[in-house]
Amino acid sequence: MNIALAEALNLSVMFGLRSVLAEVNLRLERGHLALITGANGAGKSTLVHALCGLIGPSAGQVRMFGQDVRRLQAQDRRRVGVMLHRSMLYRNLTPRENLEFYAKLNGCERASEDAARWLERMGLSAVGDQRARELSRGMEQRLAIARALIGEPELILFDEPFASLDPQGTALVVDLLQERLARGAAVLVTSHETVALKDAEMESYRLNSGRLLPAGAEANRRIVWRWMLS
Amino acid sequence: MLAGLRFLLHKDLTLERRGGRVVLELCVLSLLVLVVLAIAYGPEAGGRPASAAGALWVALILSGLPAASLAVAAEHENDCIKGLRLSPLEPSTIYVAKVAGVGLSMAVSEAALLLLLVLFFNLQFDTNLLRLIPILLLGALGLAALSTLLGTTTSRLRAGEMLLALLAAPLYVPELIAGIKASTAVLGGSGLTAVLLPLKILAACDLLFVTCGYLLFEYLAP
Amino acid sequence: MRLSPSTVFAAVTCTLVPVALFMVFVYVPTEADQGIVQRIFYFHVPCAWAAFMGFGLSAIAGGLYLFFAQQLWDDIGYAAAEVGMLFCTLVLITGSLWAKPIWGTWWTWDSRLTTTFILWLLYSGYLMLRVIGEDSEQVARLAAVVAIIAVLDIPLIVISVRLWRTIHPAVLITRSGEHGLEDPRMVQTLLVSMVAVTLLYAWLFWLRLKTLRVKSRIYQLRQTLASAQVTEDATS
Repeated sequence: MNIALAEALNLSVMFGLRSVLAEVNLRLERGHLALITGANGAGKSTLVHALCGLIGPSAGQVRMFGQDVRRLQAQDRRRVGVMLHRSMLYRNLTPRENLEFYAKLNGCERASEDAARWLERMGLSAVGDQRARELSRGMEQRLAIARALIGEPELILFDEPFASLDPQGTALVVDLLQERLARGAAVLVTSHETVALKDAEMESYRLNSGRLLPAGAEANRRIVWRWMLS
Repeated sequence: MLAGLRFLLHKDLTLERRGGRVVLELCVLSLLVLVVLAIAYGPEAGGRPASAAGALWVALILSGLPAASLAVAAEHENDCIKGLRLSPLEPSTIYVAKVAGVGLSMAVSEAALLLLLVLFFNLQFDTNLLRLIPILLLGALGLAALSTLLGTTTSRLRAGEMLLALLAAPLYVPELIAGIKASTAVLGGSGLTAVLLPLKILAACDLLFVTCGYLLFEYLAP
Repeated sequence: MRLSPSTVFAAVTCTLVPVALFMVFVYVPTEADQGIVQRIFYFHVPCAWAAFMGFGLSAIAGGLYLFFAQQLWDDIGYAAAEVGMLFCTLVLITGSLWAKPIWGTWWTWDSRLTTTFILWLLYSGYLMLRVIGEDSEQVARLAAVVAIIAVLDIPLIVISVRLWRTIHPAVLITRSGEHGLEDPRMVQTLLVSMVAVTLLYAWLFWLRLKTLRVKSRIYQLRQTLASAQVTEDATS
């Protein structure tokens, strides 16, 4: 069942006179993980922004659930979970309130139960009622991930989810992603390093100054295993 | 939409209660403007409705524009505005909620403003002050609607606050004139007929600004 | 030889403006009450018309830009507002020159004057935005929104300013509903002036638009070049 939940067709993005993405073609399919690696400034964040429609393409198109991403209906926007470099959390709300707020935005019926469940899952129950501004960077990252996943999205776009996470945190996020992949979600993850996901259909790409190149699945799997063994 | 409005507004009010700076900024800045104008007018301004009404509206617009910038900028902290834009909410709902939040902050600070006005301009505590309330609320709504709309873009620009003032103040002129006329009449003890036309202008402006914002906000939000 | 539109505009404008000048200074009879000063009226009114036309055009282009997101509409909106601003300034200056001998003051907070001045302020804000803000899409969109609200706001500004008394002469439509120009030559002169100034507006607008179009085109070419270079770098 290879239905693309989202696809980029000849996607190009320019910031003024700087070309950030050039003719990117990408399909995100159910149960598949697309891993985008690349150096700083290669265009990873821009790719995520463009895929979720926050940045308009200067050429090409992004299609999501079969329609242009910029004309996405409200009920379809609910099916996308996005995590960007900045956490989108309100610093003066507590983690619990933040999660409840975003759960309600996504139309969850039982927002407070969902929020409590996610705090528990991310290991944040102890700090659930402090202000979000008091969280450490790693905790904030965990909370940002919970924020993106709280609406149970089918399409997951994560920009650098492993940044500033400790090994337990990384393992937790890998678990979460694998769980969602197993349920048929499509996942895109950017990272400046390769990550370890086993038993998942994984396509690996490298962004090189705006061009998306296949990194070669076999080569990548080898890197992954080496990373896990080390 | 109504549910969305409710929890957006609830979120804004919670944030304002916990170290929000919008109401504080409004109160302090309008106090400053009143003091400056009271000094400029001199002692003979006491009890003169026209001076008091002018000071009131100058304080409203001068404190309101930066306050709206502040309220909009709060949404850009941590890119929260992107979270809202990615959510199933319509942009117009986000706009209306923000206008309600800013307008409410202005309404709260106007209560303080009114009290200071009576003290500084030697007015009477009487029912005329109550009649000022609907006029001021209409003025606050228009200012909130206009400055929230334009502030969404200007807060992302260099010299954004100055640009907001340059763009919003001339557009706000009809409300300013009508508001001052109506306030002068009310403080002078005139009847409803003298206030009717200015009130209509205020309401028409509010309608125009809110409708424009409702329809055009999505083009300005990121 | 092919004639470009700007050459045609230039030729027609350059013929008609001297004709209008001749009519204003020689042909039209001097008005009885105000004397020679009244002749400025034949510049003042057409300039006001051109200013309003420019701002209207800017708002329409703004709406089209928001809807179609094509650079062309943004350029049209910018050019129209810029040239409109020029004529709005001329309205204020010619009005002021007339007011000094007639009213004995350069400026008074009369309703019509105030309205025009606020209009001028509105578009000075608009142009400030264009100058200070970067050449970005978000600035272009905000400018479009401001142009639209400004045009819708004008009737309200007019009504609100009416709360003050007016001493501005109502020449074109007097209270009795007729125009106040007693001599047919005055009407003729006004009409020729109107056409001449409209053409002048169109010509200036066209020149300005052409510059902006070239600018946009250069920018577009530089973008293409930049993206081509990236492609080369990545594949090599």
